[in-house]
Amino acid sequence: MNWAALDITILGPALLAGAIVLVTHVPLGQEVLNRGIIFIDLAIAQTAGLGVIAASGLGWDVHSLAAQLAAFTAALGAALILTWTEARFGEVQEALIGMLFVLAATGGILLLATNPRGGEELRELLVGQILWVDWHTLGPAAVVSTAVAAIWIRGHERFGRIGFYVLFALSVTVSVQLVGIFLVFASLIAPALATRNLKRYAVRVGYGVGLVGYLLGLILSAQFDLPTGAVIVWALGGVAVLSAWLIPAHWSQPAENRRDIPR
Amino acid sequence: MNRITSYNICFLLLMLGAAPAWAQLRIFTCEPEWAALATELGGDRVEAESAVTGLQDVHYIQARPSLIAKVRRADLMICTGADLEIGWLPLLLRQANNPTIQPGELGFMAATDFVDLLEQSQVVDRALGDIHPFGNPHVQTDPRNIPRVAAALLERLQTLDAAQTDYYAARYADFSARWEEAVRRWSTRAESLRGQAIVTHHKSWAYMIDWLGLDEIATLEPKPGVPPSTSHLARMLEQLQNENVRLIVRSAYQNGRGSHWLSDRMGIPAVVLPHTVGSVDGADDLFGMFDVMLDVLLEPGE
Repeated sequence: MNWAALDITILGPALLAGAIVLVTHVPLGQEVLNRGIIFIDLAIAQTAGLGVIAASGLGWDVHSLAAQLAAFTAALGAALILTWTEARFGEVQEALIGMLFVLAATGGILLLATNPRGGEELRELLVGQILWVDWHTLGPAAVVSTAVAAIWIRGHERFGRIGFYVLFALSVTVSVQLVGIFLVFASLIAPALATRNLKRYAVRVGYGVGLVGYLLGLILSAQFDLPTGAVIVWALGGVAVLSAWLIPAHWSQPAENRRDIPR
Repeated sequence: MNRITSYNICFLLLMLGAAPAWAQLRIFTCEPEWAALATELGGDRVEAESAVTGLQDVHYIQARPSLIAKVRRADLMICTGADLEIGWLPLLLRQANNPTIQPGELGFMAATDFVDLLEQSQVVDRALGDIHPFGNPHVQTDPRNIPRVAAALLERLQTLDAAQTDYYAARYADFSARWEEAVRRWSTRAESLRGQAIVTHHKSWAYMIDWLGLDEIATLEPKPGVPPSTSHLARMLEQLQNENVRLIVRSAYQNGRGSHWLSDRMGIPAVVLPHTVGSVDGADDLFGMFDVMLDVLLEPGE
């Protein structure tokens, strides 16, 4: 037990980082689950990582704007390829996403074969250190995430498939550098699974599941002195299971149908 | 309800029992060897704890909330410095936001500031691997470096806790006498090792090698921080065929596969040496660390 670590100034920035990730990932996760392309997240995040590695290979600072642009360009490239493959080879889209993931991951290993510093950076990028986030990096991430979420929630029907992939690439590139790939994946999929059958309040319940998961994970990590990112992933999983079980059954029926039900 | 109340009372009693009658200096160190040294000099006036254990790689650390909380509460922070902890210490210090232990303040001490560093004149190029531009930071493997850090630490303790100047001075004198005698004993024991060839896993034994007059004829990592590849090991095997190598040396946190591969083919022992306190059985304090180091060097088991 460790009461001193339960400090809002230690856990606050991490919780805010989680909220920024959830803003985009809860609605996008529900779309990902609908389309049945779960691993797109890992593939895009790995490709963004590949962009960072390539940038550091060119001697650019990993935290510079140029490296950010490289990461986004790589992620966008992957998103555009996946848009095209979904139209052209829709029936094997999930398999192609899997291939893209392993190609990006092993491409990183090949680029890093002789660069130990890069290896450290890649590991940091993928595992993430949510506790190290500071207000300085949270600001721009919050702006990008809010914009992506607003555009998506208001008008995703209008720009269809390509709009989805571009927004997805942008939000993953931002999120993965804040919290790492495991948390990005959990934030995308756990709330979406919990709200899978909801016809109403799906996005709101998803945000609730995500926030409670992050909060619980942070508290447990402080109390039991465990690595924060990994504990939050488990908390998100646990909260998703619990809430899927506790959510009122009638929320799973469309509102207009309820009026037809007698009693 | 009853059970909860009795728990609370037990907890309070425990807290009261554990809390010393006086305020201790809270010392947080990056590595276990400095926590051990702080305990030698500070006795029960200090409460010393290390961020990394003897079994972890000091180049990396997993962020946990308690680390930030401990740094925030610390009165004195002792690290190795010379960029050894560059990957995480600046982040930890920034998040903890404790103005008294920032580098340059009285509450922060870098051990390498008080020791002559080896390997200083290297060309610094990222392509060469995990090279530390200020020199090799793994100073704790030469026992002759310990008194230099101890002298600096004594001064800090006396400044930060001025009421106990004599207490620290007495403990320092006692430690120094025992240490000097131990170094003499170790140096005599190690006489037969002079000039012997060893292979190391990582460039982290430079100070021990310098102290004992060993000859580091090869390193498993092709570049510091890059894991040994099969082709690199095969080249080494060929190159070492005609050499008389005594040992292959690594730290507890390093993967043993490379060492064992070479050990099997060359028929020489691969051993784990204590690189710090708590890294192997028996290395429970600074004295134990060097006792075990010499035991293993003189009679490599495994």
